Amino acid sequence: MASLNALKSGLCAALCMTAVACGGGGSVGRGVGGGGGGQTGNVASVIVDEGPNNASVNTLFTSVTVCVPGTGNCQTIDHVQVDTGSYGLRLLAPILTSALNSALPVETLANGMSIAECTQFVDGFTWGPIVTADVQVAGETAKSVPVQVIGDARYSSVPSDCSGTGTSEDTVATFGANGILGVGPFEIDQPACADAALAACYYACATATSCTSSAVPTAMLVANPVTRFAADNNGVMIQLPSVPSPAPTVTGSLIFGIDTQTNNASGTQTVLTVDTNADLLITFNGESLSNSFIDSGSNGIYFNDTSLATCTAMNLGEFYCPASTLTLGLSIQGMNGVMANNLTFDVGNAQAMLSANPTFNAFPQLAGTNPNPGSFDYGLAFFYGKRVAIAVEDKVTTAGTGPYIAF
Amino acid sequence: MPLFRSDEFKRAALAAAVLVVALSPRMASATLGEAEITVQNDVTRAHASVKSSQDRTGYRVHEITLPSGTSMREFVAPNGMVFAVTWTGPIHPDLRQALGRYFETYVAAPRAKFADRRHVQIRQGDLVVQLGGHMRALSGRAYLISAVPSGVDIGDLH
Repeated sequence: MASLNALKSGLCAALCMTAVACGGGGSVGRGVGGGGGGQTGNVASVIVDEGPNNASVNTLFTSVTVCVPGTGNCQTIDHVQVDTGSYGLRLLAPILTSALNSALPVETLANGMSIAECTQFVDGFTWGPIVTADVQVAGETAKSVPVQVIGDARYSSVPSDCSGTGTSEDTVATFGANGILGVGPFEIDQPACADAALAACYYACATATSCTSSAVPTAMLVANPVTRFAADNNGVMIQLPSVPSPAPTVTGSLIFGIDTQTNNASGTQTVLTVDTNADLLITFNGESLSNSFIDSGSNGIYFNDTSLATCTAMNLGEFYCPASTLTLGLSIQGMNGVMANNLTFDVGNAQAMLSANPTFNAFPQLAGTNPNPGSFDYGLAFFYGKRVAIAVEDKVTTAGTGPYIAF
Repeated sequence: MPLFRSDEFKRAALAAAVLVVALSPRMASATLGEAEITVQNDVTRAHASVKSSQDRTGYRVHEITLPSGTSMREFVAPNGMVFAVTWTGPIHPDLRQALGRYFETYVAAPRAKFADRRHVQIRQGDLVVQLGGHMRALSGRAYLISAVPSGVDIGDLH
């Protein structure tokens, strides 16, 4: 196992150096170190690698620099997951230096109470205070943007109506990343919580360990930092190389802005608008699945097809294990009626792929069952070999108005 | 402590032995695997509204809308036991209450290999929990295998 880890770190270091070298002129040299990589202008390097837990597959990471607003008290955090299925920046407190963690100002309501959030993910929740930070990614900066600090030791008492929603993911080990950068097609993480005190959403804290549900002004809710950049703030593009077969790592670009620079022109992309949940319609095997989505934060292609065999070993029971790799078809329809027809994807034998490539982290043919019968979740594999644009709600590009996904 | 207030009328009506059970919050407010009366506990405690109650072939379903907008359905077998709960919306319901005595089993269940933040499929003994979706659009289903009435296809419950 030690030699495997050594091999993996060596590989990562080599790739990071490559990423920096490819960054080209104008690199400010931020964000290097253990993943993420070279950064310049409106382009951040991204990498699919083993992650901080040495256990990730098809998980996209970048580096983010956070500063106490208006100061040089900054820290660059590597292995922040790039997630088009959530909104806002969240960082794991144990990764932060104590100097930064203690100096990042916690947001307070007019009555002086500090603000914390119980963030709802499918598989659990993250708990911690909302701070304001200057957020820098590549050459872009969002000033004083609300950011969640997850697992902050000062906020050690999780309210029972938060913990009652599931499993805590407040450590790097349980979260699987040093943070998450939610760059989906909306600005705010939970707009409903601006109007009402809802359980398991935002909280007002009289002391760090005494928090109760509270409405919180919209401007103080965790926001997609891209929307707060001075420029290039109408969305992002994720560009990854083609990955025809399992690969140790994949590197690519997270480009900020759509039609704002010469490097992010829409061109002739197919534009599919998404609904208020960021969902669209995927038709697969003759079934229209209205809760479908394309999502860099999903590590597989998740859909239901009872004709496909699921795996029987390696604790992979949710994944498909066909005898040989299958090519299947699907179509995707936006809320604007635009169709992307005749798309295909491959389903490989998860058990065979994973056991044949134990040190690899990119598996484009990894697919599994979907717990929601009305959903096709097309994960990071969708982004391999494409440049995918995610335009934010109400933001205008030359190709249309967000929220949309285009490729 | 609305939890205890909502149970006061029950305590008055029940024998002393049952009273001890009612004092345990999880037992008193549980739904999955409990009697249909606990549907009303959900409504009271969560400040929710009952949207509809329907009899279908082989079971009855109560649909509850929570203040967050999350819609929750509770499925009741002919014997009066809640055998499944499903939900969809921006915030998970109070699963400590909805799963009752099975909540700790759910939380403690080992996660699958290569988990991401979009899927959970757990089977622990009689309990099945399946969660999917993404931020702002979460969906879930929990049921007890042995309690599903014969002839009911669990795939139809959502």
